[in-house]
Amino acid sequence: MLTRNQIASRTTMITVPFLALVLWLLPPAQAAPQAAGNAPPPAAGYLDAHKNVDKPLEILGGPISINIEQASGGVFVSLPDQRELDEHVFGTPSAPRAFAGTPGVNGVPMMARNSENGTFTNMKSMSPFGDKHVVMGNGKLNISALDATATDAATTNDEVRLMASWEDGQGNTYEVRCCEMLATHGMEFPTFGGVVTNHILHGFTRIGTALMPSEYTYFAFWGMGAVLKNGEVVDKPRLIHGMLTEYVRTEGYQLAADDEVTPTRRHFHLMVAPFMPDMQNSSFQQKPVATGFELPNGMELPFWHVMFENLDITSARN
Amino acid sequence: MKTRKPHAALFVALPLLVAAWWGGVEWADNPPATATVTMTNMLKFAPDTLYIEPGTEVTWENTSLLAHTVTADPELASVEGSVMLPDGAAPFDSGTMDPEETFTHVFNEPGTWRYFCIPHEGAKMVGTVIVE
Repeated sequence: MLTRNQIASRTTMITVPFLALVLWLLPPAQAAPQAAGNAPPPAAGYLDAHKNVDKPLEILGGPISINIEQASGGVFVSLPDQRELDEHVFGTPSAPRAFAGTPGVNGVPMMARNSENGTFTNMKSMSPFGDKHVVMGNGKLNISALDATATDAATTNDEVRLMASWEDGQGNTYEVRCCEMLATHGMEFPTFGGVVTNHILHGFTRIGTALMPSEYTYFAFWGMGAVLKNGEVVDKPRLIHGMLTEYVRTEGYQLAADDEVTPTRRHFHLMVAPFMPDMQNSSFQQKPVATGFELPNGMELPFWHVMFENLDITSARN
Repeated sequence: MKTRKPHAALFVALPLLVAAWWGGVEWADNPPATATVTMTNMLKFAPDTLYIEPGTEVTWENTSLLAHTVTADPELASVEGSVMLPDGAAPFDSGTMDPEETFTHVFNEPGTWRYFCIPHEGAKMVGTVIVE
């Protein structure tokens, strides 16, 4: 005979993953209560102090230009998965960390975490950050960027031009172009004028989602761009984030925990997030991306999280 | 009765001469031993361990959609244990192999060779060739 707690636990096991997936994919108005149920993100004060800066200072040593290219070879495309929760980043149920901010964009609220024997195990919901993936062919990447502005500010001298494309098994071409507008200041975490070089992001830093491991980042940007399929724009404007980081995948292409990254290899991540910035509330609202790529269950993949790993990288101080 | 020594020598030498002639014909008609390793979307060399005889020509075929390398050069490795060479063996590296490209290397030195793929070294894409 089941106790009341066991019944409640089993009911939770069945309903929570489903509800969490629904929450992830809900339109903005319905998802807002989940996002609002937390303390403000840790960078909120910093961002308040910087978001109106008209004449931001330059990075030490002067602007850095960056060029990254992948001319051949395929890409890894992430599929929705339940991210394992690293104790280094998320703490323990008795001493939790990284819970504030919009779920998935910044922290992960307690209600979205599974736990067992005094440790967090994994997310209850699917996210773009996990082990499941598919390989697609003919990946092309071309980036030219400039990191000039140091801090978050109202204006920026940073620049990014990105063109990325890849093909599925049916011959469809998917493309992302960026950036018509850079995120000169962040909404919940800093963006350093839109482009940052030589910094640590994600994980414990809370700069970006905590669901990615803490990773040394040689170059990253945030801006607004367009998503295309077979040459036609299918979604625009969309929040685009790209970063060249140390290698954060392990055997079987599993997403690494903090102590599993390979600092001596690099790869480039392209993210078209299923969120849109909410400028009035300095936060994000969920909005699935119209990718045009159908998952095996018939649903449209609601984000692009694509890794390029056959890279030519050049950079210089201007 | 003593037997004649030259007759005994002839019994030994004749089969050797025939064997040498036959062996030469066989070498001219048959190429050296070969083996094939494929490189996959799963970031694996298949088979991941290959047992061959000295002189075997091994061909790597990139059957995946990804770019890979076949690299047995300690200077190009960044993770401990990615490369192992027999004493005195020369390192080698295929360079970038796009999908459908192949790379061939002849293994003459006996011993254990461990090699890796440069872009996927962090994902533990390594293989072993044992020459014995």
